[in-house]
Amino acid sequence: MAFLEIQNAGKIFTTGTGVYEALRGVNLQIAEGEFVSLIGHSGCGKSTVLNMVAGLGLATSGRILLEGKPITGPGPDRMVAFQNHSLLPWLTVRQNIALAVNAVHDQLSESERTALVEEHIALVQLQAAADKKPQQISGGMRQRVGLARALATRPKVLLLDEPFGALDALTRGRLQEQLLKIWEAHRITVVMVTHDVEEALLLSDRIVMMSNGPAAKVADTMTVELPRPRERLVVINNPNYYRQRNELLYYLSQAKKQTATKTVPVVKAGSGLEKAALTLGFVPLSDCAPLVIAQEKGFFIKHGLTVTLSREPSWKAILAGVLEDRLDGAQMVAGMPLAEAFKRESVPLISAMTLSRNGNAITLSRRFWEEGVRTRADFKRYLTEDRSGKRHTLGIVHPTSMHNLLLRHWLAGGGIDPDRDVNLVVIPPPQMVANLQAGNIDGYCVGEPWNTRAVQEGIGFVPVTDLDLWPGHPEKVLGLKESWAARYPQTQLALVKALVEACLFCEDRANRAEVSRLIGAKAYVNSEYTAQGLSGSYDYGFGRTAQLPDFNVFFAPTNRTEQLWVLTQMARWELLPFPPHWREVLDRVYREDVFQQACTELGHKLPAASYQPLVLPDGSRLDPADPLTFMQTASAVA
Amino acid sequence: MTNEVVRPLSVESQPNPALQEWWERATYVLLPLLALGVFLGAWQLLSAAGKTGQIPGPVQVITDTLPLIVDPFFDRGANDKGLGWQLLSSLQRVALGYTLAAVVGVSVGILIGTVKPLRIAVDPIVQVLRTVPPLAWLPIALAALNQAEPGAIFVIFITAVWPIILNTAVGVMQTPQDYRNVASVLKLSRATYFFSILLPSAASYIFTGLRIAVGLAWLAIVAAEMLTGGVGIGFFIWDSYNSSRMSDIILAVVYVGLVGFALDRLVYYLGKVLVVSE
Repeated sequence: MAFLEIQNAGKIFTTGTGVYEALRGVNLQIAEGEFVSLIGHSGCGKSTVLNMVAGLGLATSGRILLEGKPITGPGPDRMVAFQNHSLLPWLTVRQNIALAVNAVHDQLSESERTALVEEHIALVQLQAAADKKPQQISGGMRQRVGLARALATRPKVLLLDEPFGALDALTRGRLQEQLLKIWEAHRITVVMVTHDVEEALLLSDRIVMMSNGPAAKVADTMTVELPRPRERLVVINNPNYYRQRNELLYYLSQAKKQTATKTVPVVKAGSGLEKAALTLGFVPLSDCAPLVIAQEKGFFIKHGLTVTLSREPSWKAILAGVLEDRLDGAQMVAGMPLAEAFKRESVPLISAMTLSRNGNAITLSRRFWEEGVRTRADFKRYLTEDRSGKRHTLGIVHPTSMHNLLLRHWLAGGGIDPDRDVNLVVIPPPQMVANLQAGNIDGYCVGEPWNTRAVQEGIGFVPVTDLDLWPGHPEKVLGLKESWAARYPQTQLALVKALVEACLFCEDRANRAEVSRLIGAKAYVNSEYTAQGLSGSYDYGFGRTAQLPDFNVFFAPTNRTEQLWVLTQMARWELLPFPPHWREVLDRVYREDVFQQACTELGHKLPAASYQPLVLPDGSRLDPADPLTFMQTASAVA
Repeated sequence: MTNEVVRPLSVESQPNPALQEWWERATYVLLPLLALGVFLGAWQLLSAAGKTGQIPGPVQVITDTLPLIVDPFFDRGANDKGLGWQLLSSLQRVALGYTLAAVVGVSVGILIGTVKPLRIAVDPIVQVLRTVPPLAWLPIALAALNQAEPGAIFVIFITAVWPIILNTAVGVMQTPQDYRNVASVLKLSRATYFFSILLPSAASYIFTGLRIAVGLAWLAIVAAEMLTGGVGIGFFIWDSYNSSRMSDIILAVVYVGLVGFALDRLVYYLGKVLVVSE
């Protein structure tokens, strides 16, 4: 049993206006001699946790044990150094400390108590100010007195409530170092509440991140990987310091956004939907089929929605449209809502469902074919032997798209560094063929029909489709603003239901001819090549064809590790930092609840999505229990 | 002068800072004296013009009361004592009644400030009784105690006790949660809590109550003595009125005002010395 144990503790405040649940299910175990910090935003309940340990406010559910005994009230074995020092202004520094010592150590003799008081005045170096009243000394000195008073009671657990929160930066830094020295000399158990990430890192063994209230809980804990004894100037040069600091800051910024987007759903209209007229964005590609089919086959109407489909020139335009509320939602590349979560000042997006899987291929210019390039190995050899000094350029549709990640995966797997050996540029899908033809790019990775068009026009060939890289990968998702989803929950459900029906329609191979005819229309993809891939037959160019019935997939249960793969790859290619609490990030972006509900209500009960190990055709295996190892080995291959 | 002011860079024109400060302070003495002079002058003029009825002018008052002013401590028997004796005798009564009010007021205040049910129970009674004017208590006091002297002291007590009770109670209730937390974490004994935290923390409120009370007590004594008789500044005024000695009354009124002011200051400085706040 841990020295100090918080077991499933909850706290409900009853106020004049109602009931507020501050904490729910807080669990924490603290070892003897451990220094633990609680961080989180104001109102996350971290001070409430501290007060529960102090016994100043008891948990309304669960319990807190110190050395196995439940805490039932305040006591000097859990002494608090208060945020505002709480010194008695009518007593001198010495008298303030003596008050505590006399109250707590009444078994000691008079002289022993005096010695204890003097010892602690000396500990915080306040001998000169010992006979001054608190209002005659500086804020930093007062905080030191508060600390000395707390330490002088010789508590089992020292509780620090933002001990340096009210001080200027310089004084704060000095006191942190002083506390660090005292702690390293005495090693008592400390629980500290702070909102200062650097303070937490410098002082703590472990940092506990609290989620935002109401019903706050422990979101994550981080073990500080800095050797002791610590010194600020040494600590800040430790590489772990910046990594951990960034992880904590990232956590705090995410938690802040979460608070900002809590919205009350609007009152429902007569139809039962909060919003019935929607504008949805799509990019002309074969896999916009679910949106087109839901429109053309009346699934939107069936679920009470009047939808306008807006054809967008690029993925960038899609993202801007959703962020600016020009679009209610849109077809998005799978990584787009995730990448948005990592941007500074970002608006949180969610993926409400996966709209399509697979459907991509890599196209290389006809020139490579003429040079004898057939496979990746040939391409690698060609690049190595090429003496022209020219860097070959490949097109991708968006940095966060699967095309980018899969192309990099393919290149790296063949020993080609996607950032050094070639040049990757973003070009919207419909403009790929023209750029290839003009010689601006030497190849690209894109969805259909834009590979097929290059093949049919004889300007390129397909060395590989994504079925060879990762059959069944998530490709396009329904992207919504998190705030939009919160405002219009019923509308979201209706939208997802309509699109699930459309996906099921598209998934049925018997309907594929009709699907390719409908999406090829002028208003949508405006191409005669839409049957490629959708029909199941595929032309790689220069006479090579194959039957690929799974080239386009529109409905399949989710393995959540897919989304983790996307995250690891974006981190691998330095599009974003890999967050320590990746599950929380993924759960927030890739929503399953509405999709599951829609499927159930439509009579297609799916197994609950979970994290299963993911194995790709190249043999790489992503175990959700250990994504970091996967990332390291993946990087080693590259 | 004006020429010097527009040449701020010239050394000679810089006003001497010490002199400026002295002048600043002097105005605080000179201006009130000036106002007093204007007031007395106007009074003298009005009285010389015969516009003040039976009330004599200031010069007349001083001339009439010169013996009283010069010798405040003569004693010519029980009914003819100097103004000093009269004032001291009144102050004695106030001291007694006020001390009683302070002891009872602070105790009751702490009690109802700490015990919530008691506060709820007693509050309406306190709120009603505190508005009763001092003189209205006198008949009750006389009826209950059957003697003039304790009656007068009771009136002082009952007048002064309410602001002390109310302010003490508020002071106790306002004890900052931080100090209470310190006490409960340290598990201070009740006595330590009372003397080390509760009382010092409520002290500023208590002294506010005491200061209001001392003014009220002085107010009450003059009124009470007018009715009870004997030695005392209140009765002196009443007695002079009956003998139509207007000048004596005016002098006594000035003395009453000065003593009342002095009492207020006394309690104020006492509080300043004793109360420590952040």
